[in-house]
Amino acid sequence: MDSIKITIDDNELTARKGQTILEIARRNGINIPTLCHDERVKPYGACGICVVEAKGSAKLLRACSTKASDGMVIHTDTDRVKQARKVAMELIMSDHVGDCRGPCTINCPAHTDCQSYVHEIAQGNFQEAVKIIRDRIPLPSCVGRICPHPCEDACRRNLVDEPVSICALKRFASDTDYDSEHSYVPPVAPDTGKKVCVIGAGVSGITVAYFLRQNGHKIDVLDAMPKNGGMFRYGIPNYRLPKDVLEQEINVLRYMGVSFHNNVCVGKDVTLDELRKKYDAVVVAIGAWKDQPLRCKGTDLDGVIGGCEFLEQIGLGKRPEIGKNVAIVGGGNTAMDACRSAVRLGAENVYIIYRRTREEMPAEDDEITEAMEEGVQFKFLYNPVELSGENGKLTTMKVQKMRLGEPDESGRRRPIPLENEYTDIQVDTVIGALGHTLRPEGFEQLEMTDKGTIEAGLHSFRTSLDGVFAVGEATNKGATIAIDAIAQAGQAVDQIDAYLYGGTSFYKEPYYSEKKVSESDLADRPKIPRHPVQKRDRTLAKSDFQEVNYRYTKEDAMAEAKRCLECGCFDYGHCTLIKRANEMPIHPERFAGSQHPSYKEQELVCIERDQGKCILCGLCVRICDEVAKKGILGLVGRGFPTVVKPEFRDPAVIAGCKDCQLCFDACPTGALKLLVPEKEK
Amino acid sequence: MAQANTVDLSLIEEILDEYASVPGSLITILQKTQEVYGYLPMDAIYRISERTGNSPAKIMGVATFYAQFRLQPIGKYLIYLCKGTACHVNNSDLIGATIEQELGITNGETTEDGLFTLEHVACLGCCSLAPVMMINGEAYGSLTPQKTIQILQDYRKKEASA
Amino acid sequence: MKLVVGEGSCGIAAGAAKVYDALEQAIGEKDIHLGITGCIGMCFLEPIVDVYDDNGELGARLVKVNPAQAGRIVDAVSSGDLSSIQKLMIKDEDKTFLDKQTRIVLRHCGKIDPTSIDDYLDDDGFQALGAVLDHMQPEEVIDEIKTSGLSGRGGAGFPTWFKWNAARHAPGDEKYLICNADEGDPGAFMDRAVLESDPFSLIEGMIIGAYAIGCKDAFVYVRAEYPLAIKRLENALKIAEERNYLGDHILGSDFSCHIHIKAGAGAFVCGEETALIASLEGERGMPRLKPPFPAESGYNGKPSNINNVETFANVAWIIHNGGKEFAKLGTEGSKGTKVFALSGKIRRGGLVEVTMGKTLREVIFDIGGGIRDGKEFKAVQLGGPSGGCIPASRLDTIIDYKALQATGAIMGSGGMVVMDESTCMVNTAKFFLEFTSKESCGKCVPCRLGTKRLLEILTRICAGEGKEGDVELLEELCNAVKDGALCGLGQTAPNPVLTTIHYFRDEYDAHIRDKSCPAKQCADLVTYRIDPEKCTGCTACSLRCPVKAIHGVAKSPFEIEQSLCIKCGSCYNNCHFGAITRE
Repeated sequence: MDSIKITIDDNELTARKGQTILEIARRNGINIPTLCHDERVKPYGACGICVVEAKGSAKLLRACSTKASDGMVIHTDTDRVKQARKVAMELIMSDHVGDCRGPCTINCPAHTDCQSYVHEIAQGNFQEAVKIIRDRIPLPSCVGRICPHPCEDACRRNLVDEPVSICALKRFASDTDYDSEHSYVPPVAPDTGKKVCVIGAGVSGITVAYFLRQNGHKIDVLDAMPKNGGMFRYGIPNYRLPKDVLEQEINVLRYMGVSFHNNVCVGKDVTLDELRKKYDAVVVAIGAWKDQPLRCKGTDLDGVIGGCEFLEQIGLGKRPEIGKNVAIVGGGNTAMDACRSAVRLGAENVYIIYRRTREEMPAEDDEITEAMEEGVQFKFLYNPVELSGENGKLTTMKVQKMRLGEPDESGRRRPIPLENEYTDIQVDTVIGALGHTLRPEGFEQLEMTDKGTIEAGLHSFRTSLDGVFAVGEATNKGATIAIDAIAQAGQAVDQIDAYLYGGTSFYKEPYYSEKKVSESDLADRPKIPRHPVQKRDRTLAKSDFQEVNYRYTKEDAMAEAKRCLECGCFDYGHCTLIKRANEMPIHPERFAGSQHPSYKEQELVCIERDQGKCILCGLCVRICDEVAKKGILGLVGRGFPTVVKPEFRDPAVIAGCKDCQLCFDACPTGALKLLVPEKEK
Repeated sequence: MAQANTVDLSLIEEILDEYASVPGSLITILQKTQEVYGYLPMDAIYRISERTGNSPAKIMGVATFYAQFRLQPIGKYLIYLCKGTACHVNNSDLIGATIEQELGITNGETTEDGLFTLEHVACLGCCSLAPVMMINGEAYGSLTPQKTIQILQDYRKKEASA
Repeated sequence: MKLVVGEGSCGIAAGAAKVYDALEQAIGEKDIHLGITGCIGMCFLEPIVDVYDDNGELGARLVKVNPAQAGRIVDAVSSGDLSSIQKLMIKDEDKTFLDKQTRIVLRHCGKIDPTSIDDYLDDDGFQALGAVLDHMQPEEVIDEIKTSGLSGRGGAGFPTWFKWNAARHAPGDEKYLICNADEGDPGAFMDRAVLESDPFSLIEGMIIGAYAIGCKDAFVYVRAEYPLAIKRLENALKIAEERNYLGDHILGSDFSCHIHIKAGAGAFVCGEETALIASLEGERGMPRLKPPFPAESGYNGKPSNINNVETFANVAWIIHNGGKEFAKLGTEGSKGTKVFALSGKIRRGGLVEVTMGKTLREVIFDIGGGIRDGKEFKAVQLGGPSGGCIPASRLDTIIDYKALQATGAIMGSGGMVVMDESTCMVNTAKFFLEFTSKESCGKCVPCRLGTKRLLEILTRICAGEGKEGDVELLEELCNAVKDGALCGLGQTAPNPVLTTIHYFRDEYDAHIRDKSCPAKQCADLVTYRIDPEKCTGCTACSLRCPVKAIHGVAKSPFEIEQSLCIKCGSCYNNCHFGAITRE
């Protein structure tokens, strides 16, 4: 047997004559990426991904087909090679028309696999759904109640009728699972011996604890408040998020082995330095609890209170004295929570004072509608200029009329005061809900941003102190929505985990193929209205803090879940194409241009072919020819417009095609989909 | 399959007798079949498949790869408009526009009366006479819009008097 | 006396067949022979009629003849006094077109009747073959070719002897010789001219090649767009076989060889040798991975050697005159001559064969007579879709494989298209990418999608929708396509873009930044208007407008309907009063 010597990436290797560079590399554990290659068929050389550089050769060589020669010196990872692979991949993706993931998943900050769990719900597999949800979200019953659901905003069903009620389905699945005999608890890896302290038992802290614990680390969560949950407990009123639900969810973490320690205030009861010594890593997740003050005269009067403070009081089980006339200043979700809580506390006149219009309100639309239904009076285009009172007790709020000018940096139209247009409103209480920031006490050692939040690496989550990470509302840009905090905390877990083992992890936003879809593309889809969630009687609802929205019935949930258009690709988890794409820093949009039409055909006996996703690697055609020896599939046309087409006429051919599935098996992406269950292997 | 009953398959039996068993003759068979019908009817493709053992998918692959083959019938007069470099430099686009205007068809189309089909071709190799077109094998060079219209009208007259 | 009409495709397109018929009729019973020949290469003078005296010497060359002149010509010739047709004779300045050429490949073209083997034999035809079969070993033939320094004329310039040698020594008894006559470069017609004008020379070269590598079956792969070439070659093969210059026991020797014609079916990529082989096998003409090279595993998996028409047309001359004679011509690295198809905005376009080492300037200006219509030379495009555009500043580049490659263009197969100031270089790049993207077989990603995207970017630049950074994007993509494409078509497809960016970057910038086309060619960036002050209402423009976009009443100013205007420039070029403005 002839043997040859070849050098690949400075490794001197011995190989058999006649072996390809790819074979030799793979045999020696050197990775050369491929896409159109399959050992069962002859090398084809279409994709241009497996190129390598050979010393003395002007051209790049295709590793899949080039036979090694004695003395060859190969480099598989030079800049030139990387550039060639990158552009080839960008070109491929520029004509790969399909959605890797549904728009719901992509738009969810935590990239929750909505389509999959909705699918499981549709099939009645509720615990399977919960497993998928819990892969990203530690508190699914809570999030399923209060999430502003960016997933639904992106839902493609918007182009047909209304979005799938993804958020309510999440709550349904999770609540249902809690009711079951063996509700799901995520598995925990064997003990690693590493200890991590999480400061703050809010959404961010719980998320970090939940995922780090699954990795086998010992987790202590400290919280200054008597109970856990952070803003979920002390910021969001019970009628939206019942506290027993929250407690049930936190118990899952307890089952997993997370230890919670309440009434521990860092800075008073223990110092940050002490924690740093005691633990392998410390995660600061203290949230933002300090109300931004109202910017007008008279805020020191009795009867002026911050929104967070007000809701915190309620969360602590108190019933603050607010009188009959209550004005809430602001247009966000805190303002909505505050006004609806004020209604429930018995106030007769509850006002929202907002300096812009409903259009610009950051609060959720549903919340606004429900507040209106509960009798809250919205005073749009008003801004408080002065609070006044008698004997130190607030009585009157003077507001100024505004109009909208040009859009500001936030994109919303800027309010402009109108001169001499003032109105007085009689008030007993004014609640300022203009945003909130952190209380920095106890964390002075950490570097802060200009906004007064903790400075943390955008992707590293590291603070200025070694071993101290910071996540959530207390960091960088400050307050945000819960699902954002969960997403961030989830990313931070990888960084913290890497740190515990002495390394660094580089976060890369995953690349997804996305398809542009317009209303006309979906014109053939039947219109099915959304199944509404049953709500508590309005009159009753506004009289106490009992939960307002009910859980879907099983029938409604399954029917609602069936409305899903299933935009995301069935093959996402197995797709070689997207795997390769994510191995390179690609920007296919640079080469945006004409694309193959995206249509699906079921001409193949047991397989659906998606023309848009086909990358013309020829594997299906080649495997049908060379391995199955059937020659049913062929390439039609030339150049860019080339397509793959099956040719049937003879019934014997159709019979021969049936159940072979080799083409499906060979397809490196989701262009071929089985219409029958996968063959037993 | 629209033409299923309109094609006389016996016309190509002789061709198939000669070439079906000669390896590598598929293109030749398709060329000769096209000479018979003016295009490649689907039924002829299936017949060629039966006789040669090539799968229909493969024959379709070959038939759609080469510019010469057509799967649809063409007009009586096939106009090749040269799109070679010399013709391009000498404004063959203008001649193209003239033909399109005169006949009301674009590249690849056939006039309603079935008289003319227009096809752009890479280069007819008559570069010194650019711009050039060829009608049923006869080349016309140094075209101007007027000359082009005249040539087309001559064909029309010939047809009308025939 | 003998009258000979040049009947190549070009000549026929110019009316040569009608001239022939008219002459035949005019001659009637007169004692004047009438014959045909192939293409002399002076396409700009077609139809051409040569007058030979009874000794076979060329007495006069009549040019741009039309059928109506047949009677006069026949009268003059039969009277022996040609003064009456003096005006039809070629002008002295046009004679320089031939005088400055050195003809080896085209040695018989326009001289002999391509349908007559006797004409060919009278001009030293088949002497080389006779010598080879009589007393040369195959190795000696290869040595002679090696001495000559002949390299492949199809574009790549690979030494011919090396390929022959590799095929000769490849294991196996069954080998194939293939002549690539799939001349697909738009703007090249050298091979067509040889096939139509001197098919026996190709046959002789091929048989010698077949003898050298040891093969019994050879193919000529001719593109289907060359019907006359196929007809003449078929005829020549038949005659050669009848006369035992081809077939079994050629000239009584032990050597047998058959040549078969395979007509291509319209795919430029089949000029690439592995794609050509796939096509010969009856498959889609998609290139195959190399290695294995055709010399090891080609047609039907057997060792195969592929050369193009021009290469084979040199072979008999080399054997007959000796490799050393051939090697005396040309430069250090490029021996012999090269045939070019000179066209475009040139005064004297046609077939030009010059020794290697001449400059582009000599070919374009001394032979071609420079730019016509008094316009300025701007660039010359060499090598078709695989080549590049060479600007005026590089006109003194010599014809030599390396020297031309250094400009970013390539020698190519011989297409030489001359461009003047009215040719937009961005549009030219777009034109070539339109071609390559349409002709891409679609197999490999860098070519299928790379050429498509290059075309899309160029299209948007020409439409005035270019963006800052587009040129850099083009360059990046060009380099990736060069590096990543599977075959020669893709690897060279970016050349027209890269050379135009290199030499004419300012034109790209003008399109992108100023949304203007300096050559006034890009339709979306040009507007034609009629100046009512200057327009006399002569109707010249309106009559010539191919889309009837110019309206008006005679003798008063006309107007252009902009929505219909295709910016062809016909009105602009035909206005005698300078009334049409172009911005």
